[in-house]
Amino acid sequence: MSAASGVGNDARGLGSGVVIIGAGMVLGVVALLMTLRSGVTNWPFVAMFGLLIAVGEMVQFNVDGSRNRAPIATSAALAYAMLGGSTLDTAPDVTQVMAVTWLATLAGLVPRAIAGLSADLVVANRRFISVACAAVVFAAVVPEDLNWNRSWQHAVPLLLAMLLAVLSAGVIDALVGAGQATERLSVPFPAALRDELVVMGQIGMAMALGGVLLAAGASLIGLWAVPLVVVPLLLTQFAFRRYASAQRTYRTTVRSMARSTEIAGFSSPGQNVRTATLAVALGNDLGLTPGRMEALEYAALLSGVGQLALADPSPGGASLLRTREERQRAAEIGASVIERSGVLDHVAEIVRHSNDPYRQGRANNADIPVESGIVNVALAYEQLVGEGSGQSPDKAMESIGLGIGAEYDPVVVESLRRVIGRGFRF
Amino acid sequence: MSVYVIAGPAAAVVVAGIGALMQPRDVPLMKRVHNTSQRILSAGGGALTYILLDAPVGDGVFAHPFQAILGVTAAGVVHQVVNAVLMCMVLSLERGVTVVISFIREVVVPTALPMLGYGLLGVLMAVVWLGGLGILAGLLVMVPLVVARWALTQDEAERAAQAAAMRAFIEVIETKDLYTRGHSERVSQGVGLLGRHLRLSADRQQALEHAGLLHDVGKVGVPTRIIRKPGRLDDSEMDAIRLHPARGVELIGNIPFLEEVKSAVLHHHEKYDGTGYPAGLSGTSIPYFARIIGIVDAFDSLTSTRSYRPARSVEETLAILEQDRLTHFDPALVNAFVHVIRTRGWVAAAEQQPAPDNSADATVDHDDMSLGSGGGASGSAAGPA
Repeated sequence: MSAASGVGNDARGLGSGVVIIGAGMVLGVVALLMTLRSGVTNWPFVAMFGLLIAVGEMVQFNVDGSRNRAPIATSAALAYAMLGGSTLDTAPDVTQVMAVTWLATLAGLVPRAIAGLSADLVVANRRFISVACAAVVFAAVVPEDLNWNRSWQHAVPLLLAMLLAVLSAGVIDALVGAGQATERLSVPFPAALRDELVVMGQIGMAMALGGVLLAAGASLIGLWAVPLVVVPLLLTQFAFRRYASAQRTYRTTVRSMARSTEIAGFSSPGQNVRTATLAVALGNDLGLTPGRMEALEYAALLSGVGQLALADPSPGGASLLRTREERQRAAEIGASVIERSGVLDHVAEIVRHSNDPYRQGRANNADIPVESGIVNVALAYEQLVGEGSGQSPDKAMESIGLGIGAEYDPVVVESLRRVIGRGFRF
Repeated sequence: MSVYVIAGPAAAVVVAGIGALMQPRDVPLMKRVHNTSQRILSAGGGALTYILLDAPVGDGVFAHPFQAILGVTAAGVVHQVVNAVLMCMVLSLERGVTVVISFIREVVVPTALPMLGYGLLGVLMAVVWLGGLGILAGLLVMVPLVVARWALTQDEAERAAQAAAMRAFIEVIETKDLYTRGHSERVSQGVGLLGRHLRLSADRQQALEHAGLLHDVGKVGVPTRIIRKPGRLDDSEMDAIRLHPARGVELIGNIPFLEEVKSAVLHHHEKYDGTGYPAGLSGTSIPYFARIIGIVDAFDSLTSTRSYRPARSVEETLAILEQDRLTHFDPALVNAFVHVIRTRGWVAAAEQQPAPDNSADATVDHDDMSLGSGGGASGSAAGPA
């Protein structure tokens, strides 16, 4: 199921993931022990919500390539954490909420692992921790005697308490997620947090309000509320799945398009992908937004397609050997072809200036995007270090350093220095 | 939907009527009256169902949640049926029966389940509304609906983006040769026409159109000087040309298409008598899509201008196809294609192309496949298959 994550995302050490899993496990075990000691209340609800969380975890999917989400599991767990009212004799206490959520989450991961699908313990524990946080907040702000008695004097404070609880869950999740992105992809923390908060405002809000509706509904009419929320959620998830698969097809179409230069003999095998990998690493280092990152990756992949219009391949695909006029003409042709497709407008803009030297381009023209400078540097570095030419990274860095400010954007060269220094290799 | 539960069936009909009055002013009056009455009738059908099932109204929902869910779902079904029947009546009066069938297949059936599913949110909204939140419940329910709508429109947008990316892909390939410009698009349209005539299912139809669009993408691996070369190609150059189907598959191999797309790209130059390339398959062992594309590909090449000859007329080309029916192509498919073109017409490429360069030797393009050169076709006595 895991969508093709952006290039460069496969460098996955666990790192702080160990801490997240550890925290989740400790919290889960303690909650379970305490629940077993005090006894379980309201079995039908435990069974139903446990099942929902497990199934929801089983049908998780990835948003925009790398962000893993399980809407049904999240909504169900949040709802279970915020029950209270007339149909339940007693609402489950915080430890029981944690124990049920933890066990059900793990139970949902087992079939995935057996089926050979991705089963990411780190993300699952992240979800569990944020739900636990919501349960604690909700229990802390709601007084004992407040329940769903069909009067607005009770309903509105309950709603506010629920919103506060889901908000805290969302913020915790965003902070942890941003920390993970910083560690894994070397994105500056503020930029990573910004991206996580944007996702939280979209999908996160939908999941949270699903949980709020389910909690209110189940408190009022019992388990009949479950299908009322889950069926629409499933429908939406189904639509989203189709969207994700269309997106995958689109991405691979662009990648195949990039490979056409290799088949035509204009570039060496894998050259486009290597250039794109480096461009993505640079973009992450500079903290670009996800939308811009995507355009950057495509532009790096497609930066060579304009060459197809030139007569015949140059040996070894080293476009450094071509004259500047030819390279710029190829970039221009490539950009106009990409532009005519009508979807990759921003990509076309990046490609158009990807061969402009910094001094004649970006230095005096703020309209040219920094991405063009990134692609330019990535292309140059790939040609020095990539297959065939095989210079050492230090030597290549030195050559590129000589062109700083004239040929290459100083900001990007500094970023390259950092990325290479952290051990980036093709 | 939630109105049934909150305020009762009669109110639902009134709401439907009021909602219908809020139509844009630029819609003609006749249409507005029709839409309004249609909505009221549909809602009326739903309301009657709700009453017949004796489903709860107001606080009764807390005692009988299941009856409320059942009532709303049944009302939703009736509402949709009434709506569809009315639409079908109008369409059949205005445009005939075939439109009605396609309307049912493309609009009514795919939307039926989602409508019922999202109708359940209405019950939930009613429950939460009566549970003390009032209008706030409406705001809460709006969010899942907005997200659902977003997911559905995104899907559409992403499909459009993918189609555009593929077109760009083709444009890149076709920069190499003025004379093949637009060829892939036209072949895609041609196989689309034929596919619809053959009543393919929706995803196979789409796969066929993709295959038609991408069938020549491997040409990017053929050196430009060979593609543009006027005059006869020698054996080594012909070998380079013969590689292009395999190159094409190599290029699109990672895109998650149906397998049929890849096999069609690989085998679109096979001939029915087994003399084609790359594998020399014959008869029905040639993949179905490849047989379709082979016909349309040849048809478009012949009706286009090439550097060494002017375009042929559509009629002339159809005659050639029929003559070569038993050697090159699947006879049944040729008949179907000829029928489609004769009834639907064809916009030939010749208008948009440069004039032929008469100084070149008359020779044969790799797509022409020695068509109509008198060879082979002797069995024209055989009737239509």
